[in-house]
Amino acid sequence: MTTHTQPADSVFARSQLRTVFRRIAAGPATPTTLFLVLLIIGISVVNPAFIRVDNLQAILAQSSIVALIALGVNQVIIAGEIDISVGSLLGLCTVAAGTVAATTDGFILPFVTAVVIGLAAGTVNGFLVTRLRIPSIVATLGMLYALSGILLITASGAQIVGFPKSTGFLGNGTVGGVSVSILVLVLAFIVLTAVSRFTTWGRDVFAVGDNEAAAKLAGVRVERVRFGTFVLVGGLTGVAGMIYLGQFNAVQPNVGTGLELQVVAAVVIGGTSIVGGRGSTLAPVIGAVLVTVVFNALILLGVPNEWTDVVSGALILIALLFDTVRRRITEKP
Amino acid sequence: MVNENTPESPEGLSTRESLAEDSDGERHLTAQQVAPPAYQAKRSLDPVIRLADVTKRFGGVTAVEGVNFDLYPGEVHALMGENGAGKSTLMKIIAGVHRPDEGALLVDGVETVLQDPKHAGDLGIAMIPQELSLFPQLTVLENLYVGRRRLRRRGLFDGAAMKVAARDVLGSLGVELDLDAPLRSLSVANQQLVDIARSLLKKARVVIMDEPTAALSDREAVRLEEIVNALRASGVAIIYISHRLKEIRRMADRVTVMRDGKYVDTISAASATERDLVRLMVGRDLAHLYDRKRHPTGPVRLELRGFTKEGEFSDIDLTLKSGEIVGLAGLIGAGRSELAQTVFGIRNPSAGQMFLDGSSVKISNSADAIRRGVAYVPEERLSEGLVLPFSIAANISFASLKRVSRGSVISGRQELSLAERFRAALDIRGGRLQDRVSMLSGGNQQKVVLAKWLATEPSILILDEPTRGVDVGAKVEIYKLIDKLAAEGKAILLISSELEEILAMSDRVLVMREGRITGELSKAEANQESVMVAATGAES
Repeated sequence: MTTHTQPADSVFARSQLRTVFRRIAAGPATPTTLFLVLLIIGISVVNPAFIRVDNLQAILAQSSIVALIALGVNQVIIAGEIDISVGSLLGLCTVAAGTVAATTDGFILPFVTAVVIGLAAGTVNGFLVTRLRIPSIVATLGMLYALSGILLITASGAQIVGFPKSTGFLGNGTVGGVSVSILVLVLAFIVLTAVSRFTTWGRDVFAVGDNEAAAKLAGVRVERVRFGTFVLVGGLTGVAGMIYLGQFNAVQPNVGTGLELQVVAAVVIGGTSIVGGRGSTLAPVIGAVLVTVVFNALILLGVPNEWTDVVSGALILIALLFDTVRRRITEKP
Repeated sequence: MVNENTPESPEGLSTRESLAEDSDGERHLTAQQVAPPAYQAKRSLDPVIRLADVTKRFGGVTAVEGVNFDLYPGEVHALMGENGAGKSTLMKIIAGVHRPDEGALLVDGVETVLQDPKHAGDLGIAMIPQELSLFPQLTVLENLYVGRRRLRRRGLFDGAAMKVAARDVLGSLGVELDLDAPLRSLSVANQQLVDIARSLLKKARVVIMDEPTAALSDREAVRLEEIVNALRASGVAIIYISHRLKEIRRMADRVTVMRDGKYVDTISAASATERDLVRLMVGRDLAHLYDRKRHPTGPVRLELRGFTKEGEFSDIDLTLKSGEIVGLAGLIGAGRSELAQTVFGIRNPSAGQMFLDGSSVKISNSADAIRRGVAYVPEERLSEGLVLPFSIAANISFASLKRVSRGSVISGRQELSLAERFRAALDIRGGRLQDRVSMLSGGNQQKVVLAKWLATEPSILILDEPTRGVDVGAKVEIYKLIDKLAAEGKAILLISSELEEILAMSDRVLVMREGRITGELSKAEANQESVMVAATGAES
């Protein structure tokens, strides 16, 4: 009897373990979150100063620009497309807002400038991809260069300084001791999570990315849904530009160079699948924070600056590998 | 060579020639009946291919059962059968794609286990699939030599020698093509010739052609016929799959008919009438699958007049009444799914009118169609129907999200109650509504897709092969459901390639062939023969 039940028991235990693992693996951002928590604990053991509230806040504030834009790009990637134009776009939004601020004053006008430029660029991206049917990687690559060209022409290479502190409120202000940039990020995260979960558009984004044919048959306006994701990225990039103004207090035309890759890295590292259809709004935030924490840790450990690119590259590759492994596990019947 | 001396061959040859010139010569030809066993006995050569009692199963489904088949050099052996009769599986066994579960494959009389298609290719077996497996961006020459390592000199391709060989082969087929032209610039017919030439370059002795004339014009088909004849004359053995009865009677030496995965008979092509072939294909003993209740029909819901889509179907007239089930029969490729998708707005018609409840409408996309009460359940239900990462509930509500949302905000409660209603109605089992749909069994996933479309509360329901890949028990369940939906007053267009299904379920049967409606049969008129005659264009 016992000899018969023993193997059955172990099979049962193994299958249970597998279900548990599958359930954990099913949450797109879960593994990265676990890794992030372990990393923070590890670093804090080595250097207790790391876990202090002001340090953690500084890390969150530092992550907020990438995280905010990544929240938008996350939707684009879930919908099965990609947007790599955000580096130049952030530069353009920031420089335009800074220029306006230097001549006028206050917060509203620069803010509106940045967001409108962002939305306009997002609309162009959406148009190129969904109407002209240019593959998004090429269309947004083109926009990356076009926008950076516009930036160089209009900004004439000069650094912009001397705009009032109130303009940079999103980046340098605090409310109740909490940095406004963190509040903006949290607000955007909550709104997008709600939109993603509880609206038809939010659901359509996932459906379009996972099974375009089924979505089309079910009456989803596939192109319209994707168009929306590009416009969203534009708007969020505009807001991120205002955070930038406050955090750095000066604007050079090379703002945002290379940012597009950090953003895509944050999305993928966070656990959103690069092939579309799977992901969560938590993923880009966790991904952005993780990258910042890792860079901080490298500095704390005294690793030379040149190694940061190698490390971020390795992180992306690990994340992609993980994504592949996960898909292989979850897609098995 | 030896069989040239037998008295059979010259006769067979002249038969073919006279038929090629005079297609009305059927009556006097049936007089020269040739008994199949005698025909085989006269062969003195060994068959190049022989299948002995071959059985192949996929999961629980037996695709091919106990089939015997042989093929001699210099023979055109046609293979016929309804959709799903097992022809493709059989050919894939010969081409090394599948391995038989039981029985043996003999190549040149030697029992052989083919490892893969390349192994088959090395033995001289080539397959020209219906969907050509060529590379549109590469040139003709490159296509001819894809995957080949010969003609190399110090690791380089010997372009000149390749061209010479390519021209030789194309010349033997009687065509001249620009070898440097990209393949995509060629007509379908010429692309097909490239595929044939490629198999000849590989020294193929057995060429399997799967419906080669399906995409060809009449003139191109005639040229293909000449080429097939030339190949036969040079000793190549050809397996020829086709639905075109005339073509088969004209070109083939022998015909093997399959039905439901089983071998039916092998007969001499010249001696058989088209009626004979149809009769063999459909058989006579049909299981009575399902007994439909009759219910009264209501007003006309859908009407098509002269509905046309260039190159896919033309001049379709159709009416569909409330409470009526109209079966749309035909062979694969007859244009039935294309018609359905055009009604549903995924494709746009190039001519003709569509009326819903008597008023002329233009449906330009699926959202429009759904709003107007049209639902289309596609043939590829799982790949075109489910969003796998979504929950069961989210999949059921997917096409009718507007019904459970205020503005664009989805009400989780309403969504669940909608999903629960259809889960109960269709008896979907194996998971809670919140669970991922991917954890359900195939049969239950199919039901989820049906539930999704029923949740849109359509008045017109188009079902494209609703029971494909479903076991018999689940089939009857689906039939009951279709019957119930009709009783509720829905107008149902049932596309099916299974005759039993069409005959059991339909109030009326429309038959399509090559993009046209070639038969409209009342329930009384519709039987296996009348439908197949309309579907294949057989003449008695």
